[in-house]
Formats: sequence, C-alpha cells, structure tokens
Amino acid sequence: MALSIKIGAQAGAGVMVTGRSLAKCFTRGGLNVVAYPEYPSIIRGGHNSYQVVISDKPVHSPTMHSDIVVALNQDAVLFHKDSLSKGGAMVYDSRIDAAKFKPRKDILLFRLPTEELLAKSGAGARMANTVALGAALAVSGYPFDQLENVLRDEFTRKGEGVVRENIAAAKAGYDHAKANFKGFAKSVEPASDKRKIFVEGNEAVSLGAVKAGMKFYVAYPMTPASTLIHYLCENDRDFGIVVKQTEDEIAAMNYAVGANFAGVRAMTGTSGGGFALMVEAMGMAAESETPVVVTLVSRPGPGTCMPTWTEQAELRFALHAAQGEFLRVILAPGDVDECFELAWRAFNFADKYQMPVIILLDKFLGESIFSTERFDESKVRIERGKIAKGLPELAPNTRFKRYALSADGVSARPFPGEPNGMHVATSYEHDETGYSSEDFSVRKAHVDKRMAKIDTLMKEIPGPKLYGPKTADVTLVCWGSQKLPGLDSLELLSEKGITANLLHFSYMFPVNTKEVQKALSKCKKTVLLENNSTAQLAGLLKEYADVSFDFHLLKYDGRPFFPEQIADEVARLAAKGFKAKKEIRIGDEDYEYYSPQRYGL
Amino acid sequence: MATVEELGVKQKVQWCPGCGNISLLAALKGALSDLGLNRHETVVVTGIGCSGKTSHYLSTYGFESLHGRSLPVASAIKLANTDLTVIAEGGDGDGYGIGVQHFVHIMRRNYDLTYIVHDNQVYGLTTGQASPTALLGMKTKTTPWGVVEVPFNPISTAINGGATYVARGYAGDIPHLKELIKGAITHKGFALVDVFQPCVTFNYLNTYQWFQERVYKLEAANHDPKDKAAAMEKALEDSKTDYKKVPIGLFYKEERPTYEETLPQIKGKPLVRQDISNVDISMAYKDLE
Repeated sequence: MALSIKIGAQAGAGVMVTGRSLAKCFTRGGLNVVAYPEYPSIIRGGHNSYQVVISDKPVHSPTMHSDIVVALNQDAVLFHKDSLSKGGAMVYDSRIDAAKFKPRKDILLFRLPTEELLAKSGAGARMANTVALGAALAVSGYPFDQLENVLRDEFTRKGEGVVRENIAAAKAGYDHAKANFKGFAKSVEPASDKRKIFVEGNEAVSLGAVKAGMKFYVAYPMTPASTLIHYLCENDRDFGIVVKQTEDEIAAMNYAVGANFAGVRAMTGTSGGGFALMVEAMGMAAESETPVVVTLVSRPGPGTCMPTWTEQAELRFALHAAQGEFLRVILAPGDVDECFELAWRAFNFADKYQMPVIILLDKFLGESIFSTERFDESKVRIERGKIAKGLPELAPNTRFKRYALSADGVSARPFPGEPNGMHVATSYEHDETGYSSEDFSVRKAHVDKRMAKIDTLMKEIPGPKLYGPKTADVTLVCWGSQKLPGLDSLELLSEKGITANLLHFSYMFPVNTKEVQKALSKCKKTVLLENNSTAQLAGLLKEYADVSFDFHLLKYDGRPFFPEQIADEVARLAAKGFKAKKEIRIGDEDYEYYSPQRYGL
Repeated sequence: MATVEELGVKQKVQWCPGCGNISLLAALKGALSDLGLNRHETVVVTGIGCSGKTSHYLSTYGFESLHGRSLPVASAIKLANTDLTVIAEGGDGDGYGIGVQHFVHIMRRNYDLTYIVHDNQVYGLTTGQASPTALLGMKTKTTPWGVVEVPFNPISTAINGGATYVARGYAGDIPHLKELIKGAITHKGFALVDVFQPCVTFNYLNTYQWFQERVYKLEAANHDPKDKAAAMEKALEDSKTDYKKVPIGLFYKEERPTYEETLPQIKGKPLVRQDISNVDISMAYKDLE
C-alpha cells in the first residue's frame, strides 16, 4: 500500500501549506509519509510543487513518478503529466484545457469544477487549494475526518469562520471527487491511530540543539537554512532560548564564538554563501579553542547558483574552510532522527574538544518533511568537557593558564565571571596564558597540542553503517541525505533480482580509517552515490583510508537521487556484467522539466 | 575591586614610546579601578591592530578577536551573561573600516556595553595606510597623492544611528578621558567613546601638537548632551571649521531600553546560569503531530 501525490501551482499560491495539510492527514492515520517541496527563488510566479509519498511500510524518499498529480494551474499539468505513473490520475481545475497537452492514454483526467464547488460551499475564492486538497484525498481513497481535524488545527487561530469555510471547501472537493472520479486503482487507508510527528530536517536539528542545551542561536537568513531561524524564533520563549538575527553571517559566526566563550552553548546556521563569510571566525574558534557549532544546509554552488535546490557539494568546503590547519568535526545526518541525534552530539564534541563542529545538511533533508516517532531522548547526555571552577588564587598580575599543555590536548576553560580564571582568548598564536607569542617552540607546542585531540576524538567516531543484508552482490555507498533514496532503492533492486545493501556515512570527519577499511573489505561490487559532480567522498576516503569504489553514480542537477533512478542505473550495470565506465552522470531532463519554453510555449 | 596596579599584567607593553594607546590604557585602568569593578566580571574584547593589544595588558578576562569583529563577539558575551561588564575596543580601521557594518547595527540594538575606538586616522600595525578617518589630503603609503575620500564621522554617525552615549576623548588628557569612559561604562545602553590617540610613528599630520591646538571641552562650552540637534551641530563642527575647532567630551546621551531588557528569557537569570542538564522539549511535539 503506497501512493505518491504531487501538488503543483505557481509560486505564492499556497502549495506548501496545502501539501503539508495533506501530508498530516496521512501521518495522523499512522502511515509513513515523506513530503518534498520544490520551489524557485521567486516569491510570485515560477512553479512550486509538493510531493507527498505515503506507505504503510517504511518509506524514506520522494519518488520520480507520482500516482496523482493535483494541478492548480496550467503549468502544473504541463510539467508533471510525463512524470505520472502508469494509470495515474491528473486532478486539474476545469478552467484548464488539459487535453490540448496530449497526456498519455493511460492517464485518468479528473476535471475539478473548482469555481462551481466554491460557490456551492459558500467558501471564498482563496479556498481553491482546499477544494483540490479534498479532491486529492478522495481520489486516494482516504476517509475525510482526518482532513477536518488538520484544517481545524491549522486555522483555529484565524477564527471559527475560517475553519468552517475551509472544511466546507474541502468537503465540496472531496464529495465531488468521490461521486465523479472513477477508475483510479490505488488507494491508502489509515493504518493505526498511533500518533507520529511530522518534522523537517532543519526542525529536527533545532530540537536536537535545544535538547543539548543550546541557549543561543544566531544567524542571517539564507535559503535553505532559514527554516532553522524561523522555527527557533517561533518557539524561543517556550524553549527559553535567545535567537538573534544579525547584520550578516560574519557577525553571526562571531556572535556564536563569543557566546560559547562566555559559557553558553550557541549555534549558527547558514548555507554555502553565508558559510563563506563565516570561515575566518570559524578559524578564530579553532585558534582560540572556543567550541562552536554551525549547521551548514548546502545548496548548489558556486555563487548564488540555484538557491532553492539541493546538492552535496560542500563536503570539501566544510573540511577546508578557513586558513591554516586545524581539526574539526563534520557530521552529515542521513535522516531526521540522525538530525536530532547528531545535533545534540555536535555540542558535546564542540565542548569536549573545544573546536568547531559542522552539521552538514542539504536543502533536500533540511526542508523535506518526514513522519517519525518522537525523538529518542534516552541516549542524550550533556558533556561539557573540561570546565575550570573553584580555582586557586592567581599571583598578582598573572593569568590563568587557559591553554595549559596537556597530554590529550584539551585544557580546562573557565567562563568569564569565574574568579581567578582570567585569561585572554585570542586568534593569535599564544602561550599557555593566552598571551600572544611568536616564539618558535611555543608555536610548535601549541599546534601539537591542538592536533593531539584527534586521539581521544577518534575513539568517538564510528565507521559507516550498513543497511540491508550483510552480504550482497552490490553495495551502494553514500553519505548524508542520499541515504534516503538509497534505502528505498534496495527494495526496487530486489524486485529486479539484485541483492543490494547500503553503506552510509554520517560521521564525515575525522575519518575512522580502520572502520572504513573494515566495512569496505566485505563488499563485492560498490556503487558510490553522490549528489555532486566530483565524487567528493571518494576523494576523501582515497586520501584517508586508501579505498576506492567500482562506480561513481553522480547527480548534480539540483535534485536529489530518486530511488527508481538508482535502481535503474544499478540494474543496467548488472546487465552489463559490471563492465562499464566508472563514472555515471545522470539527471532528470528526460522525464520532468519546469520550463514552458521546452514545450514551445 | 582592583587597583590600577592590580589591573596590569607582568608582560611589557609593546607600543611605541609616546603612543596614544599607553595613555588610553591608563585612563581605562583608572576608570575600571574607580568604578570598583571585579576583574573576573569584566571582559575586554578587542579587534586586531595596535589597539587589539589592550586585552593583553589587562588582568581582566579578554578576547582578542579578529580584525573588525570585536563588536559581534562582545555583543554575544553580553547576551550570554548580562552580569558581566563588557567593553569592546578597536581601532578606526578596525571599527569604521572593515567592521563598520557591526558598528552601524549595534547602535540600533542598544546592548548595554561600551565601545572604545582608538582613533588615530591611520593604520599602524600594517605600517601606515590611510584609515576611514584620515583627513582629506593626508599622504600615506596608499594615498601618495593625498586622501580624496571625505573622512568618516563616527560621532555624527553614532548620534544619528541610535547610540545612547556618544563621547570623544583625547589621549593627551587622561583625567578627562577617564571620566568619559566611566560615564560610558555606567551608562545603561550602547556607549561609544571615540578617542583621538596620536600615532607617533605613522601619522605626521595629526600629532599631539596638532590636537593640542584644536581640541576644546564641551563641558566647558555649556553643551547640553540631551539636546540631539545641538549634539549633531557639535559633531559636525570640526569639518565645518576646517579642523580649527575640534570638540571633545560628551556629545549626546539618552535613556532607551536596552536590547537585553526586551528578552523575558533572560529576566533574572542570564543564559549562562540556566540549567541545561535536562531540557524539556515535549511542548514542541504538539505542533508537529
């Protein structure tokens, strides 16, 4: 029992809200749901879409094909008709002449008289989306009552009138579809009344950070990281945290370092362009051994590029950002549960090792929404590392040895306000008290001190995680968000008679060489999936673990992999007896494109 | 509470003999001592440049940050722990050049902290280039034909930009400067103290003698710092008189709620003292279901 629904409309028409309401109906029925929004970097005009994938079995990823398309304007009919699955349904506004675009013969055309239904239900014209929402739910065979609950929760704060109007509009669409739209073969029904949460990657990171005791979040708005600051601002007083929007990302990172120096767990968040402005201050955190956490939600680059789309091209940027050489931790969660877990762990890494920690997401995971259980808080520990308290009196005119040399490279840090802990934190090279020094022996000793942290840190860095059967003909290898389509492709491969498993990296740096080598030694054919054009993980693992992969499957057109694509490409390789070129570059140009010009319009 | 002596450190001050920073440091130590502030509850955040060394020569807490970034670092320290006395310092290149965006925006926010700018109209540590406050015609390594850009006016910018305490001191008059700094620290809100601090090595134009002939005290001229229009007039007097008359003292002061006061999250308990051992996030799930 699985279904994929896509809603399409022009930007500004409310597709995101409509889509989220639809997805919540299924989540509340105990089903597994993934929602994937696509939108251009324009507020009005341009094309928005929102795909909701529903299943009673685990589901992780958006799909290449949709079973139902709800087209709220002409472009949506045009853009999505070819990505409809066989026997799929197109629900469209009756003012659109869908037939003139010659959809495939197997597609069911469901013409929705929106205006008429709105008039009949007494709802206003701005409720057109809600009528379509009701119709989509009816076509999917799902009962109406959950939608009523969702709309009530969504609009209660706008008053009972708005609630009633919305429900009436939804019911009109629902009833019309039930009575008139026949022949669609698939359906979904509620599985249980077990409540799940429906959460996006950025929200999950936010919650993990708040759970970790993050008391200060500071950022400059940048897509696709802005929902971090939106979510945290919306809840700042409930969470008891302070959220600050600064004049730019330079300020944001400097604030984050300052707050951590003062003893408060603080985080900043941004995308690649903003991160570029943050790197100098991140280096200051490293030199001054001040903890700091940054969530980097990447999008295609370089330059402004495609701001609202996705790419995994900032692994190397995260790793090498800032001048000089220093250690850092890079964590790339693969799903919302990992977003929560790695976020709270990030603060422990930052505090214990007094260094920058980067949580590396991308637009796909950051802004897509997933059903899951309430997060597992049982494992959460707050580890602040070496904090200096109750210190002995300092000799006159001397300072506390904040940077005392130690075997593990970590020295105790007092927070300002602590008597007898006075010292200078500095971005200059410095002696044990923080006094700047250009003495060669001091320089070498302090570089060695900071680098020595790797030994204890490495003990906390697990290797990649294997999903699926222990042994398989093909092992898919990926990192971060691409775990999601990767996992969903395993079953598709098995349907094609290919046994496959998935090796996923979420601890990106430092690289646990032994664990990586051990994991890969058990693999037969390996196919690396990366949402970039240069296979950055392959390079990193070659450098640190001297391992390589049989094939690199690369996609870098602004979209994540879809499970069908992975399965098709791997099946093609298997059919050729795995005798093929190492690099396979794919895109979505053959089945879906969002440009009216391509259609001669 | 600390004496001027206790506020110092063993390390030798490494500024040029006669540098205005030496007098500025003396005035700052005097102010901290007079106010009876605890060294462990005082944080001095500096940028990079000759002025940046100030944090090294004090036995308080210090953070020598990056070029131009003392204000954002200091802002966050204040937000994290409102019990601390936070003083940010930087040079004219640091604060009015590379870090000017922070200066412009911090004034709108009115955090309760003090910003002391070591203003010597030249870049010292990088061996003598024109700074944003360099006067027209001044010849430096980067302006061999003379500066053609009009100088940045920090005082008028601050009065116009929302600063609630705007003062200018002169390193040649330590007692006067000390009082301005004390006023800035005790002022509730963002306080700017721009300090003429002659660079004896790279600025051949704005020397002690040059200032001595031109500066006069606003306090002696019957200026009312609550009068914003009069303050603006005084802020523009130096350029209007072709630098024949250069006022120093308190230009402007107003009372306005601080940014911190608008945050119920930190009322009565600074962030740093809030318990994080078991944060409750259960209220968040309701909106997500």
